[in-house]
Amino acid sequence: MERELSVVGKRLPRIDAPAKVTGEAKYTVDIKLPGMLFGKVLRSPYAHAMILKIDKSKAEKLPGVEAVITSEDIPVKLFNSGLTDLLVPEEIAKNDPRDQYVLSNKARFVGDAIAAVAARDRKVAEAALDLIEVEYKALPAVFDVVEAMKPGAPKIHDFANGNIARHISFPGAIGDIEKGFQEADVMIEETFNTTKQLHCPLEPSACIASFDSIGRLTVWSPTQLLYLARHKIADIFDIPEGKIRWITPFVGGSFGNALTLRAEPICIALARKTRKPVKLEYSSEEQFIATQSRQPFTIAVKMGVKNDGAITALQGKLTANSGAYYSLSGTTTNVCMAMFATLYRCPNVSVEADIVYTNIPISGGYRGYGNPQAMWALEQVVDVAARRVGMDPVEFRLKNYRRAGDPGWTASLPIESCALEECIKLGMDKIGWREKMGGTKEGVKRRGIGMAIQRHVSGTQPMQMTHSNIMIKMNVDGSADLMVSGCEMGQGMFGVLAQIAAEELGLQIGKIHVVNGDTDETMFDDGQHASRTTYVIGNAIIETARQVKQQLLERASKILATRVDDMYVRDGQIYVRGDLENKISVEDITRRATYNFEGQGRNIAGKCSYVPKGNPPPYSAVFAEVEVDINNGATKLLKIVFAHDIGRAINPTNVEGQLEGGVMHGIGYALTEEYMVNGNNGVVESDSFTNYKIPSTLDMPNVEVIIVEQPTPSGPFGAKSVGECGLNAVAPAIANAIYDATGARVRDLRITPEKILEELSANIL
Amino acid sequence: MITTLKSFQYFHPNTVEEAVQILNKYGDRAKVLAGGTDLIPSMKRQKIAPQYVVYINDISQLKHIDFGAEEGLRIGALVSHHSIASSSIIREKFQLLAKACNKVGTPHVRRMGTIGGNICMAGPSQDTIPALLVLEAQMKVVSLQGERIIPVDEFFTGPFQTAITGEEIVTEIQIPCPPSDSVADYQWVTKRTVVDETLVGVAALLGMDLDRGVCKGARIALGSVGPKPFRAREAEEIIKGEKLESKLIEAVAQAAAEETKPRSRADYRRREVGLLVKSTLEHLWSQLR
Amino acid sequence: MSKEIARFTINGRECELLIEPCTSLLEVLRDHLELTGTKSSCGVGECGSCTVLIDNKPQLSCLTLAITVQGKNIVTIEGLASGNNLHPIQQAFVDCGAVQCGFCTPGMILTAKALLDDNPNPSRDEVKEALSGNLCRCTGYVKIVDAVLAAAQIMKKGGA
Ligand SMILES: Cc1cc2nc3c(=O)[nH]c(=O)nc-3n(C[C@H](O)[C@H](O)[C@H](O)COP(=O)(O)OP(=O)(O)OC[C@H]3O[C@@H](n4cnc5c(N)ncnc54)[C@H](O)[C@@H]3O)c2cc1C
Ligand code: FES
Ligand code: FES
Repeated sequence: MERELSVVGKRLPRIDAPAKVTGEAKYTVDIKLPGMLFGKVLRSPYAHAMILKIDKSKAEKLPGVEAVITSEDIPVKLFNSGLTDLLVPEEIAKNDPRDQYVLSNKARFVGDAIAAVAARDRKVAEAALDLIEVEYKALPAVFDVVEAMKPGAPKIHDFANGNIARHISFPGAIGDIEKGFQEADVMIEETFNTTKQLHCPLEPSACIASFDSIGRLTVWSPTQLLYLARHKIADIFDIPEGKIRWITPFVGGSFGNALTLRAEPICIALARKTRKPVKLEYSSEEQFIATQSRQPFTIAVKMGVKNDGAITALQGKLTANSGAYYSLSGTTTNVCMAMFATLYRCPNVSVEADIVYTNIPISGGYRGYGNPQAMWALEQVVDVAARRVGMDPVEFRLKNYRRAGDPGWTASLPIESCALEECIKLGMDKIGWREKMGGTKEGVKRRGIGMAIQRHVSGTQPMQMTHSNIMIKMNVDGSADLMVSGCEMGQGMFGVLAQIAAEELGLQIGKIHVVNGDTDETMFDDGQHASRTTYVIGNAIIETARQVKQQLLERASKILATRVDDMYVRDGQIYVRGDLENKISVEDITRRATYNFEGQGRNIAGKCSYVPKGNPPPYSAVFAEVEVDINNGATKLLKIVFAHDIGRAINPTNVEGQLEGGVMHGIGYALTEEYMVNGNNGVVESDSFTNYKIPSTLDMPNVEVIIVEQPTPSGPFGAKSVGECGLNAVAPAIANAIYDATGARVRDLRITPEKILEELSANIL
Repeated sequence: MITTLKSFQYFHPNTVEEAVQILNKYGDRAKVLAGGTDLIPSMKRQKIAPQYVVYINDISQLKHIDFGAEEGLRIGALVSHHSIASSSIIREKFQLLAKACNKVGTPHVRRMGTIGGNICMAGPSQDTIPALLVLEAQMKVVSLQGERIIPVDEFFTGPFQTAITGEEIVTEIQIPCPPSDSVADYQWVTKRTVVDETLVGVAALLGMDLDRGVCKGARIALGSVGPKPFRAREAEEIIKGEKLESKLIEAVAQAAAEETKPRSRADYRRREVGLLVKSTLEHLWSQLR
Repeated sequence: MSKEIARFTINGRECELLIEPCTSLLEVLRDHLELTGTKSSCGVGECGSCTVLIDNKPQLSCLTLAITVQGKNIVTIEGLASGNNLHPIQQAFVDCGAVQCGFCTPGMILTAKALLDDNPNPSRDEVKEALSGNLCRCTGYVKIVDAVLAAAQIMKKGGA
């Protein structure tokens, strides 16, 4: 390739940063429409209750109240609040129960939405809630999956016997698991539990909905999947889809929280009822208790290993706590099973899962999907296995991991590229693996190190339908408008996609204007999920840019009297190869094309629909160093080294930022974030940043990110994904380090001092 | 949780006299507002809905930090945690109080929150209280009827309950000079993160009989392990007139742990009480010798 | 309930408003003055998103009644840049990649400004300490701390 990259790979500042540092950037909560009403939701105080009667008359009479709605006022259509069921054919989608209404007619968790009001201002809306009289008949409730599956347990949904929403057998099971166990020299059996981690975006969920005089609905909402949200809303409310315009302003963090409908359906119902614009903002408490969070899993693992470290059998029995409704529990469980089953080579694999309803808030999708849960179990079992057969855990992994050419997360798609060995090598050096392994075994403060690996996806291929549709149009000043559906939620897609477009078009970054997040202006894209944006949309942009470039070059070829193949574009100039003097600017071409007086007028533009051809998996190796006080069980995290196989870093600063942030979620998952529900009444105690602790600056250790670049063939400029990878394997790396330091193996998240002490005292006995 | 506060009538007295006059009129229907870091969240969480809010933070009379060798330390109720933690006299002579105030919340909360508000909140895990207990502070309380002085160990009557009435405000915290040849410290562990509610807080003061090389006496106060912070009197007794050797320290730590009544994570908190009492005493003893 | 007049200076301009005393400064800024750069997240003092400078000190506007800031000088994120020139801290946030979703950013920058005004040469630990009441769920804080340290260097060279 003759060309050196001039934009891709550079540490360019994000293009949305200036608006964000000046306060100019508008988020959904910042938007105000004339005559806008404010919505509020009445939520159930009971974990499980029949609703006998709702008297809204007093609330309706409060001056300033414009509407009070209950389940009777809105379409009685059951739906799944997760959005990605739209990406599989109906015969598959229908396996996932549709079990939710916009407002519930039976309360299934504390926080279930029962009624809603729209009023002149927030204060009136809040006061009106107190005036809605609901007569509940409390039912026995169940919060724990084991209890929920017992005979005689309270039944949460009529169709779900034993509260089992769905049983899934991993479709990629192979071999004969019993035979695999028999062939093993060493058997490891361990059971792990994970916690219901909360996304905690700083911007609480919000929505604005407004119908115009011809019945066209405009929605502003911080969703990650705007086309799918629009599709589902059209279906729930029976509105022709073309009559809905969906806009996604800047999003104040999401991490998967907005892969489901949140404030949108209720807000739209209020707008429909009042025929006025309505804004519904969740309070911080509602964000904590009434939006969806990570599935807690129980994972029972059985692994058979040969003395030489070869894995002969891997079995997983999973139980997922779906909470009160199903939402994304099916896809999350599928991802969990796939990641669990396919990280390592093993001839005999079987994974089964039960997805169980309980009366706690709903589980949705969270950065990493089921992968962090899978790694929490698998990467500890591997640590145990390595130690049992007397191998260095790193060597054990290097012997067994699935690498390029091996089957990936589905057997049909071989792994395209893998730089895990390089990640491990660099990470080991940085953390000082060989010197520090084994820890310090004396004194009160014990040090140790541990590691874990992960492999993730660059999109959903071939599990779900996925495509991206891009338009690029040139302006007469030689700049380009890049029209791309999607949401900028902090992940940096604006900048990264602009860098890709600029590189391929041969323009400077400042010449790219990203038009984003509006169904009136951009075409279909399945959205910001599964770490797909850079890989899928990036490739789509390259194809579109090539069309545009072709048009530019064709026009230039006439003017410069040179063949198209002999020209290239760089920094906004079209050059003839080998003749730097013979050139014309892109601006010149675009101007002459649009303001064309020879009857050849054309707005130079391109459009393409792109279906990803592959799904190259990014790998990471995480190393943790800890110091554990064996008197009080307190863990001090000293250092995290994170080496990531990115293919190509379109913007290295951005890649680091994604990983540093992901690591922070992983540290929280491991050590500080504990979801608590009152076992008597189902009240969520983790209802605030005081009662659910995410790490602050002072909880973060030194985090060192290493970027490993080995371009992957199908990636845009060789790029793979990064978004979710940062957190998947952090918790098990920390747990393995604690084991290295103390001999305490903590199997249940969050890692508390008590659990470490309990393990230590069990070891002494 | 509501996001907008319920309406109330607002007063902003500029003097203590004005403030107590208003309180006298409205009693329990009124709430004093100082830094607001506790009251405003409580109102948003609908724990309380005062009809009258009396904003006292503009009363300049209550923002002093005075020290005299005789009368000891006098801190106005409206002095912020930040000001206490950065006061040179407090850092020099009442180091544990500076340390306790520096533990409270976040830097923003320390700037806004006042010591008066901290003690009037009177939660079991409030960080200044164990320090005030071992310093044997007293609260000056004023109402229209006059003023009274309440010793710290009578001030707290239960979880989130104090001995003052709705007509009174705390105007000053009075702290006598610590006994000569004494040292004191506050140590704590939090529930989960660095900036977090205190899981166990231990304040201790050791007085030394330098001639005999023994401990004249000790004061130990425990926070967050009972309905309110309290003095561990039985543990204190063990120390009197003794040398603090490791065996004795163990015994004191154990006695202190036994005096606690934690509501949650009880075993772990007791263990932490023992460990923290031990490390605090060891640290202080090493300073004395 | 009766309304009262609140007078204060906001980003250098005198401002007089008729408000209910129960209105927080955060509501006044965002709803009445349309200064939506100040963000509302937890509403109860836990996150620092709503930080503004009151007489140059960082304060939480969600816990402050607007009626109590009579006569005070308030600076929000909108008041930091001069014309098209970003303040050095803003510029450093842009340059260092310290901004992701941006929701914590205004509060972070104002807290950092108060720190650097007090302590022009902070250590990494001092920066972490000063920012410990400002939560960020996106960045892991690494680049935020880098940005504040970088800004300190630039400001020392007279960039402010
Ligand atoms: C995020 C966060 C973290 C926190 N962390 C901690 C912590 O780690 N440790 C800790 O101890 N506290 C903590 N707090 C609680 C609180 O901020 C402090 O206790 C603070 O000192 C309260 O003071 P204030 O002036 O803000 O009180 P306010 O909210 O103004 O008042 C608190 C109560 O005391 C009454 N009151 C106030 N002053 C007087 C007076 N002079 N006379 C009579 N009554 C009065 C009020 O009516 C009210 O009932 C935290 C708060 C927040 C928001
Ligand atoms: S919104 Fe004020 S501190 Fe969170
Ligand atoms: S950048 Fe998103 S919260 Fe900080």
